[in-house]
Amino acid sequence: MSGATATLVPASTRTATPAVELIGVNKWFGHFHVLKDIDLRVAEGEKVVVCGPSGSGKSTMIRCVNQLEHQQEGRVVIHGRAFGESAQKDEEIRRDIGMVFQQFNLFPHMTVLENCTFALTWVKHLPKAEAEAIAMSLLERVHIPEQAKKYPLQLSGGQQQRVAIARALCMRPRIMLFDEPTSALDPEMINEVLEVMVELAESGMTMMVVTHEMGFARKVADRVIFMDQGEIVEDAPPDVFFANPRYDRTRLFLSQIL
Amino acid sequence: MPDEARLAAADQPLVFRPKPERPPPTSSIGVLGWMRANLFSSVSNALLTLLGAYIAIVFFTAIINWALVDAVWEASNRRECLDRVGRAGACWPGVIAWIPNLLYGLYPKDQVWRINIAFLILVAWALPLWLPRVRSKVGIGLSAVLLYPFLASYFFHGGAKDLLWTALIALGMAAFAGVWLTTLSERATGLPFGAAIARLTGAPEDDEAATRTRARIAYAVLYLVAVGVTTQWSLSEVSTRYWGGLFLTLVISGFGITFSLPAGVMLALGRRSQMPFISLCSTAFIELFRSVPLITILFMFNTMLPLFLPVGVEVNRLVRAIVAVCLFAAAYMAEIVRGGLQAIPRGQYEAASAVGLGFWQSTALVIMPQALKIMIPTIVGNFIGLFKDTTLVSIIGLFDLLSMARAVGEDTTWLGLFLEPFFFITMIYFVFCFLMSQYSLNLERRLGAGQRR
Ligand SMILES: Nc1ncnc2c1ncn2[C@@H]1O[C@H](COP(=O)(O)OP(=O)(O)OP(=O)(O)O)[C@@H](O)[C@H]1O
Ligand SMILES: [Mg+2]
Repeated sequence: MSGATATLVPASTRTATPAVELIGVNKWFGHFHVLKDIDLRVAEGEKVVVCGPSGSGKSTMIRCVNQLEHQQEGRVVIHGRAFGESAQKDEEIRRDIGMVFQQFNLFPHMTVLENCTFALTWVKHLPKAEAEAIAMSLLERVHIPEQAKKYPLQLSGGQQQRVAIARALCMRPRIMLFDEPTSALDPEMINEVLEVMVELAESGMTMMVVTHEMGFARKVADRVIFMDQGEIVEDAPPDVFFANPRYDRTRLFLSQIL
Repeated sequence: MPDEARLAAADQPLVFRPKPERPPPTSSIGVLGWMRANLFSSVSNALLTLLGAYIAIVFFTAIINWALVDAVWEASNRRECLDRVGRAGACWPGVIAWIPNLLYGLYPKDQVWRINIAFLILVAWALPLWLPRVRSKVGIGLSAVLLYPFLASYFFHGGAKDLLWTALIALGMAAFAGVWLTTLSERATGLPFGAAIARLTGAPEDDEAATRTRARIAYAVLYLVAVGVTTQWSLSEVSTRYWGGLFLTLVISGFGITFSLPAGVMLALGRRSQMPFISLCSTAFIELFRSVPLITILFMFNTMLPLFLPVGVEVNRLVRAIVAVCLFAAAYMAEIVRGGLQAIPRGQYEAASAVGLGFWQSTALVIMPQALKIMIPTIVGNFIGLFKDTTLVSIIGLFDLLSMARAVGEDTTWLGLFLEPFFFITMIYFVFCFLMSQYSLNLERRLGAGQRR
């Protein structure tokens, strides 16, 4: 598996430039200060798990990374290219970033295969046959090639989420964002999704994952980040994070979820 | 010892044997079962059923007696009808004599074939949409909506044509030819017309650029031929003053229906726009047109528009009515579409932009198809309303189906014959509206296939 997937991020494109940089990011919803002075660097190939209590701003932060939300202060830089120069450039930068949502957000009026080929045809303008070949290879990677002709709502939650991962991977992103990818799933389906994510991590993809699956964090993460009230409180490798966090707030949180 | 045996048995898992299937009880199947369950389930229900059946029978026999059994089918004037059956039976000869006028208004009899041909062309244009193995259905549908009106206008109106008009008519003609050439070539080879020609003239299959160039040349040649035909083609002018009847009703509502949907979509998007100016303009337009009755808008356009236009510029009365109906329908459609858009979760926009689509692409390919699908019943309901509302144009002096029906009873030969023509046009309206609503149900079923919500 990893032999075939390691080519996903060619070694030649790996550089010293961080994949993701958030620099002094501040964001408000109305008067509510959601993100406070967020500074974060994620190196190429690094896997970062983000956790924290509900409402702490995890989703908002990860959505700033691909500019589904716009910060009022600070800069977001992807592979050395900052967002906000022009709409055209922003679109280009965004193409390097795939995203997987809690609610899957598959397009219900298209088959699984069409969900995957859709952006290839309309954004990359690939011929149909080529787009379908790419899509099928990725559906195989997430272990559901046999569902290609079905509609999303005919699949189980775990299958839908794996389609969503395949759809994001179709665009050959260099960074993948996951916002609580397993939170909407029944317990027995969580593992099939996590498995795919572990395989993806092993292939060398840069990943930012908001999740409360601490098993996944232990296994895959290079760093675990804990957020509370719009701030990054703790940022440490998993062994340190779980065994010996610096802040009482982190300890309290861990005691609640572990 | 028995205890041990039981323990040993408990170690063995029990084998699950599903019960065999049984047929449903007879009382719940078949016509009789259905009737027993739904019509005669209790004494009061049975009484209501009998009462309902009695009323329906009385009502329908009365109508059938009047319209068919006691009706007069041949007579030369109303007096004759009255002498024969009085008011107990319908007097159809008046309606029959007026059928050409009910259908075409005062359109010259020897030119009526033009309307019929144009109508057949529309049917032929839309036909490929229902044929299997035709791929370019979106293109065919769009061309019918956008280009058919030019061709049809010339059929209906005729007369002199300047350069622009010639170009547009030729466009309609070429599009119609292109639709059928594409249909035939796709059914035969799986390729649209242009690509098939490119292949025939020797463009290699994998050379996209060459295929595209040759396809363009093929379409250009088609267009030039159409221009040539158009310049040679001339029809006598039939002023819109003579248009009327069902034909006029269909023209007005056809324009209203085809214009209102795209315009409504644009207005709805405008109203939701982040740009304050666009949002304000759209909202103002929608609210203005929605809060004024159609009859008032028709009057305004008919009497006041000429006052605002520069002297010498004259806009045809029919055009004024069509514009008024279109704008009114667009405002209503905009709110329907906005409702549909609101039902689409925000996650769909986000997923679309996360895979790299821009605003227009995600709107056209992700949001609108879903929104339109859930809006089908409301949209078609609105179309049906619009179709019937066009009867209002009679107050600004256009002779639509309703005014033609009224004219029958004012004809000296058929003086006072009102009921029969109204009955007749009621049937026409019913057939059209019923077909529209059946089509909408059919569309819903087909689009809903495979997608449970
Ligand atoms: N569009 C919005 N408008 C106003 N407030 C918002 C909006 N989106 C989020 N918020 C608020 O911002 C805060 C942070 O939200 P966010 O979704 O980032 O939290 P989260 O850490 O992802 O929480 P959860 O674990 O529940 O997903 C919350 O208090 C939320 O109510
Ligand atoms: Mg969240």
